[in-house]
Amino acid sequence: MPKWLRGYLLMVKWVFLTYRSWLSLNLAIQLGIAVGFIYGISFFFPAITPEIAKYLTTGAPTLILLIVGLVMVPQIIAMARTEGTFDYIWSLPVGRMSHLAADATVMFGSTLPGIILAVALGSFHFDFSLSISPLVIPSVILMAMCGTFIGYSIAFLLPKPMMVNVITQIMSFAVMLFSPVMFPAERLPGWLQAIHTVLPIQYMADISRGTLTDLDVNLGLAFIVTGAWCVAGFIVTLVVVHRRR
Amino acid sequence: MLLEINNVCKTYRGGVKANDNVSLSIAKGEVFGLLGPNGAGKTTLINQIIGLAMPNSGSITINGVDVVANPGYARQACSFLSQTQAPITGLTTFQAIDLVGRIRGGKKADVHRRAMELIEKLEMGEWQKTMGLTISGGVRRLVAFCMAAVTPGEIVILDEPTNDIDPLRRRALWQEVQELARQGSAVLLVTHNVLEAERVVDRLAIIDEGKVRGMGTLASLKEDEGDAMRLELTLEPGKAAPALPDYLQQPVIINRRIVGRVSPADIPTAIDWARGLKGDGTIEEFSLGPATLEDIYIRLVKNPDEAEPSGEVM
Repeated sequence: MPKWLRGYLLMVKWVFLTYRSWLSLNLAIQLGIAVGFIYGISFFFPAITPEIAKYLTTGAPTLILLIVGLVMVPQIIAMARTEGTFDYIWSLPVGRMSHLAADATVMFGSTLPGIILAVALGSFHFDFSLSISPLVIPSVILMAMCGTFIGYSIAFLLPKPMMVNVITQIMSFAVMLFSPVMFPAERLPGWLQAIHTVLPIQYMADISRGTLTDLDVNLGLAFIVTGAWCVAGFIVTLVVVHRRR
Repeated sequence: MLLEINNVCKTYRGGVKANDNVSLSIAKGEVFGLLGPNGAGKTTLINQIIGLAMPNSGSITINGVDVVANPGYARQACSFLSQTQAPITGLTTFQAIDLVGRIRGGKKADVHRRAMELIEKLEMGEWQKTMGLTISGGVRRLVAFCMAAVTPGEIVILDEPTNDIDPLRRRALWQEVQELARQGSAVLLVTHNVLEAERVVDRLAIIDEGKVRGMGTLASLKEDEGDAMRLELTLEPGKAAPALPDYLQQPVIINRRIVGRVSPADIPTAIDWARGLKGDGTIEEFSLGPATLEDIYIRLVKNPDEAEPSGEVM
């Protein structure tokens, strides 16, 4: 087995064991949110049609992955920075990116069941059909990586770990209410629409809808923009985790 | 030499000078002590060896490999007990030791055997299956030591290894430290516990305000003390320190202890003076003996201007 793969797998085990009590709680919360999300939509839209339900339900994977990547990952990293965890982990003969990849794998693994449940339950409850593309697996991985790398960049770039909590709270608010995930971008004011043409959020939602349903989206553009953000996030993460004091 | 540090300088952003032209070298199979007060620059030096920090100037090599340019080599060559607690919150004692042993490249069966051996030697069996979150600080420290020793590097770096550990397990830990050196690892021991260091190190450096104040074997450092003997007085509780005679050289008062050096010619006078103080109830007890590492340490750290490089050329 190549050394990097062995190091990565052992770090996955380390991260899994480290977070195992938190992971089971996270899994339960993610599943609860998935169920609550689907049934909660009915309260917002009492006369919801299957088409609207399809639009909203297929926004859920994007929302969940963004909240994990942009909020939970930075908060966990900030806590680890405060405790000095990285001084120890980064003294081990494992690549720093391998450690972060292991971290992201475990985090993503505990999130995936909630995403699948939300989409499947939405389809069943609101009686709409899914049209699942073979691209769905790489798409979900791309979206997870994009959100996570941006999250890592934020967590390591902010000088004080405590600032991470404030910034992530603001971001979660912006993603939930002011991002075209659960509604079309046209409903936003022009200046906010313009900002969202360069941010990856609406494109991630497009990828989700384009690979899960027959909704008409520009999948090519969505992959390019999300991919570009993913690469940018990766490069920034690579640079910041290899910085030495 | 296995580890060579030459003229390393490190100043943090904000202007704090942590290391000032530090040079030292460590050989295979040697226990080398790096002693100094809090904030002396010891941990910064360690962080530069293992690639967590970058020197402003100077060189650090392991087996001749420049580890400033190649920190990955240093991480493979060095196993490390960090000053902060190891992140083992969700792992059991055995899992933590076993995982690090395997991450460091050990084979599963070898690591398992060695982990059990360390757990037994350090009498940690009762915590073998206990989660890191629920064990005491001292046991966590022992676990962290085992994590550094289970698949030891060519260099084993131990930053304050005995903090919070009870005296009996401390003794077992020091035996393991010496065993690591016997097996061929170089042990770099960072501590401010002078009394313990005196018993285990082969050579040592005393560092303060980022500078090496003295370096060599214990014997070579003691030679620098000359023929002078160490007079230590312990004040009665609540008593003020008496006026100190001129023949008590380089006196230091720490809490109730007064320690100074007395040249051979002044010893009878000094004993009479100490007896007098005991007689009038000023001091509880006194002792006269050869210089200890603590004396050398206090002299070099308290009086840096008098410190001369000793023992070895730096």
